[in-house]
Amino acid sequence: MVRRILSLRAGRLAAGILSAIALLAIFGPLLAPDNPLGSSSKTLAGPSGQHWLGTDYLGRDVFSRLLDGSRDSVVGAVEVALVALVVGVIPGLLSVYLGRVFEWTSLRLADTLISLPFLVFAVAVTALLGNGITQAMLVVGVLVSPVFFRVSRAATLAVARSQYVEVALISGASVNWIVRRHVWVKVLPAVAVALAQTMGVGFIVVSSLSFLGIGVQPPAPTWGGLLASDLNYLHYQPWAPVAPSVLIMATVWGCNLLADAIRDVSGETGRALINTRKAQANGLGAKRIPVEGRV
Amino acid sequence: MVSTAAYAPQFVSSRHAIAAIRVRRAAGRTLITVARSIGIFVPVFIVATFVTFALRAVSGLSPARIQLGEEATPAAVHRIEGTWGLNRPFLAQYWSWFTNILHGNLGRSWSNGVNVSQLIGDGLTVSLSVATLALVIGIVFGFGLGTLAALRRTTWIDRVITAVLTVFAVTPPFVVGIVLVEVFAVSLRWFPSGGFVPFGAGAGPWFEHLLLPALALSFDTVAVVARQLRAGLIGAYQENYVTGAVVRGLSPRRIFFRHVLRNGAGPALAALGLQFPALIGGSVVTEWIFGLQGFGRFANDAAQAGDVPSVQGVLVVSIVLVVTFNLIVNVVLGRVTPASQRGV
Repeated sequence: MVRRILSLRAGRLAAGILSAIALLAIFGPLLAPDNPLGSSSKTLAGPSGQHWLGTDYLGRDVFSRLLDGSRDSVVGAVEVALVALVVGVIPGLLSVYLGRVFEWTSLRLADTLISLPFLVFAVAVTALLGNGITQAMLVVGVLVSPVFFRVSRAATLAVARSQYVEVALISGASVNWIVRRHVWVKVLPAVAVALAQTMGVGFIVVSSLSFLGIGVQPPAPTWGGLLASDLNYLHYQPWAPVAPSVLIMATVWGCNLLADAIRDVSGETGRALINTRKAQANGLGAKRIPVEGRV
Repeated sequence: MVSTAAYAPQFVSSRHAIAAIRVRRAAGRTLITVARSIGIFVPVFIVATFVTFALRAVSGLSPARIQLGEEATPAAVHRIEGTWGLNRPFLAQYWSWFTNILHGNLGRSWSNGVNVSQLIGDGLTVSLSVATLALVIGIVFGFGLGTLAALRRTTWIDRVITAVLTVFAVTPPFVVGIVLVEVFAVSLRWFPSGGFVPFGAGAGPWFEHLLLPALALSFDTVAVVARQLRAGLIGAYQENYVTGAVVRGLSPRRIFFRHVLRNGAGPALAALGLQFPALIGGSVVTEWIFGLQGFGRFANDAAQAGDVPSVQGVLVVSIVLVVTFNLIVNVVLGRVTPASQRGV
């Protein structure tokens, strides 16, 4: 599976970007050349040999703040995805097997959660429940969990209705055994795609929240928080937002690419047929798309 | 499923009768969609309001803290909580709050005692203007780019559009907002960097103040709609009925509008329905950047101040907005692709 993902160009790119970001998150705070919280008299300085990305309005070294903030920014997104995974997948699987009452209730709950504008809700709940990173991640994780619920439920339903599962049932297999033997295999790729996507979404949400000063409190640096403080000094430092923006966008892009690569490899849905070249590279042998239908 | 009225028995003779039957069936389908959506909406609304209301109890915030500060005597706290009715049983509080909501009364703000409905109403005019404009931009460009990419698939046009959409999809609204402010407000000075002018003061200034925030919000919608539409249309072009239509010699235009667009637009419309919460949520960030006193800004300020009734009001209003929009999308979806209704 991993090797097949890496055989795609998108997969290699995603792996490269994400491992670079992961290294940044692990070692970034140790590598920071300056104290990310220590202010100096040189405010709003341009890039120089001493301060690679200049200094901010309090004279703090931007490069150090960027490195130091990487861990909080990345860990937040991972936490969101993991919380959503746990909260979403298990009910999604169970909703197929536990009978109609549970099915109906969980579907309505998923409907409710998905109809909440989750940034508004995340802002509201996080601020009311004590402004901390853990609360923020829990709330956002629960709010995005319907994605996992739907994905795992759809995959489970598709398997549960397939003939080989019927055969297994008729020949006396327990539901427990079927889930472990047949359902997991089908659900896992779908969940992996959702996980990669959710990390991207979670990353945007987490940096939006830290942009607003929610979750991680302002003196501690995060990528979103850096952007927020840059906004007031755009006039003096028009290049300041570039570095954090690029990092945020690269991370989200990496997650999206990974999701696409997993989806292509696991050969799910009709997507493989859409990009002919990718499909041929996968050896799926997609039929050529007729082009006569142009308007 | 295409209406079967065209194949009705001979006793429906006149064209008018056939048209009438079609209209009646379409209206009936729409009514069913609306009824079914309301059937889903009612439990959703009850659960969501309950969760919203429970927030106060969970958060442990009280108006006394806002009004008296940290060093309030327990007696004073008790008195103030009594005047706000917070010493009553939880379910009784919920019930009176819920009935008030149904009458459009969202209670009063803890910070300044102003009616929350009025505060939210003021903010909503700003936010809905921005969100509507963003939605229009999203629909126009999303459908335009998606269709173009699907029709010119596997050419350089398709590849360029896909690349642009990828960039759109990974850019958070606040990054777009900052870039737009920087380019169009700070450097070029074409547009004001923030603020809001009511429509009454002239359409020109009103539009100028709205355009940048709306653009910042719309990027994500454009990307999502265009990608879904491209995938949907390309998928529809591969269906056998399209090959059949080509063989029968129908014009490409007719094939596109009759066969491909109707069958391929479903996922894009469904995605559009889910995009509305994102627009409302994104307004929190864009209004902060562009200095708009809108709904999202109000939500953020109220939440950070611990003003629970305002926050609850914001959440209830946003739920209602989202659900209403979903209802509209569902009706449209039911008209365009009736097959989509089976899964609702």
